[in-house]
Amino acid sequence: MTTAFAPTMTRRQMLKRVGAATASVTVVAAAPITARAAKQEVRYAMVIDTRRCSGCQACSVACKAEFEVPLGGVRSWVEHIEVGKFPNVERRMLPRLCNQCSEPPCVEVCPTEPDKATFKREEDGIVVVDDSLCIGCAKCLEACPYDARFMNPFKGDPVKTKGNGVADKCDFCMHRISQGLQPSCVNTCQGKARIFGDLNDPTSAVAKLVEEFEPTVLLREKKTKPSVFYIGAEYLEAKKDPKADQYFRLDTHRNERSSKRWS
Amino acid sequence: MLNRRNFLKLGAAAATTTVAGGASLNAHAVKDLPDWGNKGFSPTTGKPRQAIPSACWQCVTRCANIGYVEDGRLVKIESNVNSIRTEGVMCAKGQGAVNHTYDPDRILYPMQRVGERGAGEWKRISWDEALDMIAARMKKNRDAGTPEKVAFHYGRMKASHSKTIGGFFKAYGTGSIGNHTALCEGGKWTAQELTWGGHYDNWDFDNTKFVLNFGSNVLETHTNHIPTAHRLLWAMAEKGVEMVTFDVRFSNTAAKSKEWVPVKSGTDGAVIAAMINVVMSEGLYKGDGEEFLKYTRVTEDVNADVPTKIAAIKAHVKDYTPDWAEKLSGVPASKITALARKFATTKPAVLVSYRGLVCHYNGNEGERLAQLLCAVTGQMDKPGTRMKAVGAGWKFPKIPKAKKVKKLDIFDGFPGQVAYPTHHVAEMVLPMIKDGRNGRPDMYVMYCWTPTYANGHVGEAIEILKDEKLMPFVVSVDPFYGDSTMYADLILPDTPFTERWTAEDMVDPAQIGEFYIRQPFTKPLGEARDFSDVVFDLAKRLGVDMGEAKSHEDFVRLACENTPGVKEAGGFEYMKKHGVWHDKNAIPQQQVYNRPVPESVYKAKGVALDEASGVYWKPASEEDTKKGYVATKGAYKKYVAQKMPHGVFSGFAPDKVNKSGYLELWSPLLKAKGFNPFPTWMPIPEHQKMGPDDLILTTFKHATQTHSRTMNCKYLAELYHTNPAWINPETAKARGIYDGDRIKVTSAIGEMVTKARVTEAIIPGVVAISHHCGHWAYGRYASGRRAPFTDEERGDRDFKFKWWTDNGVHPNWVIPNAPDPINGQQRWMDTVVKVTRV
Repeated sequence: MTTAFAPTMTRRQMLKRVGAATASVTVVAAAPITARAAKQEVRYAMVIDTRRCSGCQACSVACKAEFEVPLGGVRSWVEHIEVGKFPNVERRMLPRLCNQCSEPPCVEVCPTEPDKATFKREEDGIVVVDDSLCIGCAKCLEACPYDARFMNPFKGDPVKTKGNGVADKCDFCMHRISQGLQPSCVNTCQGKARIFGDLNDPTSAVAKLVEEFEPTVLLREKKTKPSVFYIGAEYLEAKKDPKADQYFRLDTHRNERSSKRWS
Repeated sequence: MLNRRNFLKLGAAAATTTVAGGASLNAHAVKDLPDWGNKGFSPTTGKPRQAIPSACWQCVTRCANIGYVEDGRLVKIESNVNSIRTEGVMCAKGQGAVNHTYDPDRILYPMQRVGERGAGEWKRISWDEALDMIAARMKKNRDAGTPEKVAFHYGRMKASHSKTIGGFFKAYGTGSIGNHTALCEGGKWTAQELTWGGHYDNWDFDNTKFVLNFGSNVLETHTNHIPTAHRLLWAMAEKGVEMVTFDVRFSNTAAKSKEWVPVKSGTDGAVIAAMINVVMSEGLYKGDGEEFLKYTRVTEDVNADVPTKIAAIKAHVKDYTPDWAEKLSGVPASKITALARKFATTKPAVLVSYRGLVCHYNGNEGERLAQLLCAVTGQMDKPGTRMKAVGAGWKFPKIPKAKKVKKLDIFDGFPGQVAYPTHHVAEMVLPMIKDGRNGRPDMYVMYCWTPTYANGHVGEAIEILKDEKLMPFVVSVDPFYGDSTMYADLILPDTPFTERWTAEDMVDPAQIGEFYIRQPFTKPLGEARDFSDVVFDLAKRLGVDMGEAKSHEDFVRLACENTPGVKEAGGFEYMKKHGVWHDKNAIPQQQVYNRPVPESVYKAKGVALDEASGVYWKPASEEDTKKGYVATKGAYKKYVAQKMPHGVFSGFAPDKVNKSGYLELWSPLLKAKGFNPFPTWMPIPEHQKMGPDDLILTTFKHATQTHSRTMNCKYLAELYHTNPAWINPETAKARGIYDGDRIKVTSAIGEMVTKARVTEAIIPGVVAISHHCGHWAYGRYASGRRAPFTDEERGDRDFKFKWWTDNGVHPNWVIPNAPDPINGQQRWMDTVVKVTRV
């Protein structure tokens, strides 16, 4: 597979709309997302095999440190969903992150002109935020059905963002993958539950897993076409509401500050 | 050994290859991104981060790690991908350690108390003043012939740190050295010492086909956590290995098991006893079990043949029927029978046990029963079973002991309280000091030790520590202003482990042994100093000989230069660059017990046969010979080999107690102390007298926290900072309690108020409260209280975003200090309580 950016690029350069590999001058954000997806060479994706996840939260802390994410902010986290009746109880571990949607609702609502502060990278499908353009309006936080975004008070221009900070979220560790290094949540995972790679490369592990397992995605009905897939989480697409007639408890440390959840 | 980190296999269908050590490989590696770690880049500038190999110290597992430093600041910690123990993965706790260095409540200067003890009034002093003060006390006691009145009590001190710090105090002349192992799992180790000698059992998940787990939450927390836990996860995912977990609580480990078997608290031992009954009555011992029994002692007669041994076990367990165990444990007899058969016939299978089994009145016997079940099925010390673990054997420089080392007898419980306190009785040290019959220390040094928080009966511990008549001078060596540090007279600012040197040695599940070092990621902040360096300064002041090394770094350097293997690999320079080393040609250790010992060894000069035990040993004197092996103090150190009816063998060599070289399940040592020599079911006295309203309080640990030393790590505290009590809906309803209600938990020694977490994930009849929470000090992230002498943010821009105020509760306020009568293990799971709605 091709690497989407040269190894020496800085984050600022990574965010530039002019793809280093193609030297294309297309103003990506203005183009319709579907059109861009068609010529996308690389589609970075993550497969999460929940059978291998023990809910240990190593990924959550790895991410927190990697990006010095402020308290209250989360790019990567794990939900624990308890169902059943004693003694037939189940606890499902659901690692969460930005779904890097092919049809990202967050991009649609971004109001900055002429370039959107949040946009989907043409080269590889990663949805990113350009801190220098973000005005801190938080519309994308509302638009995201996965609650994957938060306002980062440590970033952005305080005047431009009216002190709100900028929208922030997982970017698949662009600064690591551009150097051939696995994302921070992936290399720490003790179960090797997270598998990262290029979905457009049929020989990649993610492509093979998606082919073999036809994994679940979150909120398929929203038609966001996520690039994050789940193995062993069929319950997510079950017609029956797990809360309907039995004990159900969702545990996440975000509970106390966030009401929006996967279901 | 091949490292598996680059290989992923998902789905049982794909082809697997097994190589030495049982690594399973996959045809399709993740070729897209070749690098799995040991390098890092800044997300803001893209610049490479400096990568420094070192070792974790959050928990006793002590995984090899890599610290990433950017502009002189530690920013990230990951695993070392070259470690054969961790194979490149790490837990949340290890990564959260990045917060220790810059904890805004870290202690950076020596501090002397100026107000009332515990009032939080301090003045900054110089290191010279602090060390002069300590040296003066030590000199005074040495001159008075009472060096033992200098007591040193540590919570964790391992490998080279143990050698230098422990070595210093012994070189000075005090043996008054306490530890905290009885609060962890010391009882399990004693039970192992009584049976198979030196402690640490490794669970060989790489090669096993079935896991039977009694009370271990191995996927969240363990003495050798990540090295074993990730292997278990991989075995389950890649080879379809099934695990069955007995626990009162549906832990994450139970959640990942094929089956969770809820068991009444404290009755796991009865279930194991019944499984032995099934194995014996159905003849499932035939074959492997019979072969293994040759190396097992189950009768008084050390020369008994296997049929005699089988008859003895059958007679002993005949009343331990599955129906009997069902009545005690609530586990259906049919399930006990089925699982006994499955464990006995799935080869190899591994029996896992931990605090759920051993932190009870009958914990020693629970662990001995576990050893017996492994023995009769032959599921022991061979690949895929419960094995004797292997760690790195460093060649450390010697620090000569003082000619005479004296000690206060306050570390092993009250007279007659504990039969074999081989890991001491930490929970009784403060009560012993209060009692005073065996003397009191003139100086009590706490090192990585928080007696008020870590022991039971918190209220009493605080009273004792505050009492200047009982404790004239208390020194705390701590990087943080902890729940006990606040009651000290003098604080020496220790470095967090991120700024230390150590030569490390924790056991390796690959059964080879990994050598690894800890080196500082960054220079110590402020005037913080590693106590293992401070002791070299104290030694100078006191004229104590510390041997060849001049500092702790020097000590680590010498260990690297002198240890065979490490030395040839490149010694200290190699270790600083790579962090880890193991012998690539080493054969994984297994079956230590059945190596024939040649006549030239057991008939060598000075070696004698002790007829009563069948032990070949080297008695030091005629008197030793007359007393015999079992009755001679420290005889286990002179063990040579074991005579068995079929030859002379290496056997299970003894450690800490004079057991024979058999796997000793008929124990003359226990018989001598009035216990049943055979592993025996012992009812828990408190549980026999429970009223209909009473519940059993149990404790547990969460995947993101260590027991008492990580709540200051903001990333970990954000994930887990409050600990509502788990209670089954049926139990809750009977008390009018609903989810989130405030409840009162009352025991014989006190009461506490917390919140209820009403959940189906726990057995009725118990209430479970985790450790970790409810600090009253330890900085603002842990307790909301800042250390009194720290008032700035110290560059911690996060503090103003701390969004939680509930710091949970600490269950130890209502848990009495109560040692297991055989081994001194604190009985965390036995407390009887009443729970009511507030």
